[in-house]
Amino acid sequence: MRQVFENISYLIGSEDILLGMVQTPALPLFSEQAQAFFAALSKKLLANPQTKSYPDLMDYAFWIRAASVKKMSERYPQENRKIGRGVSFHIAPSNVPMAFALSFTAGLLAGNGCVVRLSEKVFPQADLLLETIGIVLADYTGIKPYLCFIRYPHNEEVTAALSAMCDVRIIWGGDQTIQAIRKAPLSPRAVELTFADRYSLAVIDADRYLQMNVEKVAELFYLDTYYIDQNACSSPRLVCWLGENIEQAKVRFWKELSKLVRRDYEFAPIQAVDKLTAFCKAAIHEHVKLQKDDNLIFRLELEQLEPEIMEYKESGGFFFEYTVHSLKELLPMLEKPCQTLCCVGIEPEELRDMIIKGGVRGGDRVVPVGETNKLTLLWDGFDLCETMSRYVDVGKDE
Amino acid sequence: MIEEFFSYSPYELSQAEKECLLVKELRALTLHHYQNCQPYRGIVDGMGVSIDSISNVADVPFFPVRMFKELDLISIPQEQIFKTTTSSGTTGQKVSRIYADMETAMIQQKVLIKIFGNFLGKKRLPMLVIDSAETVRNRQLFSARGAAIIGLQMIASKQIFALDKEMNLQRDMVCDFLRKHAGQKFLIFGFTFMAWQHFYKELLKMEERFDLSEAFLMTSGGWKKLQSEAVSKEEFKERFEELCGLRHFLDHYGMAEQIGAINAECECGHLHASIYSDVIPRRYKDFCPCEVGEPGILQMVSVLPHSYPGHSLISEDKGVLLGIDDCPCGRKGKYFEVLGRIKQAEIRGCSDTYAAGF
Repeated sequence: MRQVFENISYLIGSEDILLGMVQTPALPLFSEQAQAFFAALSKKLLANPQTKSYPDLMDYAFWIRAASVKKMSERYPQENRKIGRGVSFHIAPSNVPMAFALSFTAGLLAGNGCVVRLSEKVFPQADLLLETIGIVLADYTGIKPYLCFIRYPHNEEVTAALSAMCDVRIIWGGDQTIQAIRKAPLSPRAVELTFADRYSLAVIDADRYLQMNVEKVAELFYLDTYYIDQNACSSPRLVCWLGENIEQAKVRFWKELSKLVRRDYEFAPIQAVDKLTAFCKAAIHEHVKLQKDDNLIFRLELEQLEPEIMEYKESGGFFFEYTVHSLKELLPMLEKPCQTLCCVGIEPEELRDMIIKGGVRGGDRVVPVGETNKLTLLWDGFDLCETMSRYVDVGKDE
Repeated sequence: MIEEFFSYSPYELSQAEKECLLVKELRALTLHHYQNCQPYRGIVDGMGVSIDSISNVADVPFFPVRMFKELDLISIPQEQIFKTTTSSGTTGQKVSRIYADMETAMIQQKVLIKIFGNFLGKKRLPMLVIDSAETVRNRQLFSARGAAIIGLQMIASKQIFALDKEMNLQRDMVCDFLRKHAGQKFLIFGFTFMAWQHFYKELLKMEERFDLSEAFLMTSGGWKKLQSEAVSKEEFKERFEELCGLRHFLDHYGMAEQIGAINAECECGHLHASIYSDVIPRRYKDFCPCEVGEPGILQMVSVLPHSYPGHSLISEDKGVLLGIDDCPCGRKGKYFEVLGRIKQAEIRGCSDTYAAGF
């Protein structure tokens, strides 16, 4: 084992901690140690002015505040009935800088040791978080045996060894990454969570939208999209319109958004060419009509609604647009790759009921506009802490 | 039709006169490709462009040159393909394929001769090519470097290859050639980086000095790699002049996707668009055309591409118009400068792939 692990570099932790992790006692779900550690980490992050430069790191720091974690814990059995599965092995993605943070936080709160493989791509906010974790661990030595943040160059042997020793494997990445990593077998009792490429859409009731505070809606939609470069799976790529006054609503919606984008969005020249390229690819294969006043917002009006259109998705302000006459028309889009539905002027419950009644394979989250990128322990239809921990049943129906 | 262009010399028309000629031809080409290239038709339809209403060169729809790497774009029946040019790409990068029929290939040649003739005179001259004969050997699948060398055969009385397969200077042969033509008018051609790495640096090592004061050093392929070695265009010229008296430089800029309609650099160091092509720097925020002096992403139009829809493309290069109709060299039309690639673009360009190995 030691020989295989020579290829690993440790950002946090060490080879001894990693090798020892199979024997490290699992912690109870939402253990006091873990909660105290996150409370301290939150304080340290929030006290550092540098944190403010990274909105996603700020969000994370807030999310792991003592009160916030306490609230999360209330969804789970209060008594000491659940414990971590043991070792969790997290493979972080290279496109969303803070996904690894969500992943290990859930892993540790569930009571597991966490081995986190970071992408080769360096993100300054990830570095800052790791540095802060290192500082906090000096005071919370009890957590040290539970954390290893590592990097290693593409190496099947290392992945195989870590897969064999873990009890939970969490893979973030494209379909190809997941296929490649799945070649490494897990131990018989281990479970796996995969977070594959997904797409998300927005549904807007035009008439109700026109009665809402449209400036506020624009701000919230900006948070869902441009704020994170429309790069997360949960960022809407398709905007579906419903209602009577659709034309009027569209004009208003995009105009309000455009004001914010012009004011706040840092747009790089290459994005203009990237978006034009994505449009061309879509136009060659599907019937689309390009609508744009400038390059900040690309809108491709669809003639028909098919999930295949998502093959041409692009980030940085690139939207497909379609008009439906009833919510039911959305059902064909709710295939496996569909993750989040972002609602404007529509009750999320209504869409949730439609998903459950329709028996479709996609649509894991239905949230109001502005909340698509909110950190949560419910991800891609999984309850992360629930899945990463196990029940200790005493035979009474509690 | 293109014949009308041949009745003028490449830089004789003012911008206004040139645009009258260009817009007619570009509109006709847009319609031709619309009718004969299904993917192109999809793009034009998707943009909502009405071809009839194209009244300015800037109205001609454009798409990213990168699209040639995504799929085959071709406006002629398969059996009319006369040659295929691939653009360079390092491992893992996609390669673009440009298909030419006999007619397009001939027009490309003819225009290239006309443009270079304007600088070099009509007489064909011997040419020392700073490359290996291997680069042009496979005629079925030209690389852009190979295609450029082949294209230049037409302006040369003969081509001598300075490098062997391993890209080492064939010293004796090159020295003989330089001795024989010392003080006379002849041509040297190489991609910028190769001319520096394999010619200048080798000459510098030799004890013998050659008189290249009448020779023309023709280059292309960009200055990026050299800049990373801290050699600017200006220094490149100064060092060559210092070493061997070289003072005639003929750099040019062009895309593999628009072979023939090259933009050559004049004595004042300005790149000129000939009557066969034009350059429109565009603002990245809305693709509106830039003013003179305002940097933008370069759109290139050319009236040459008939067999593939490459008559109006947006590059990933940044550039700036320096002026229109008023270059001190006397050539009319737009003149400009290329400022490098826009950020994060995939590394591409003719000699740059080779240079990436260093």
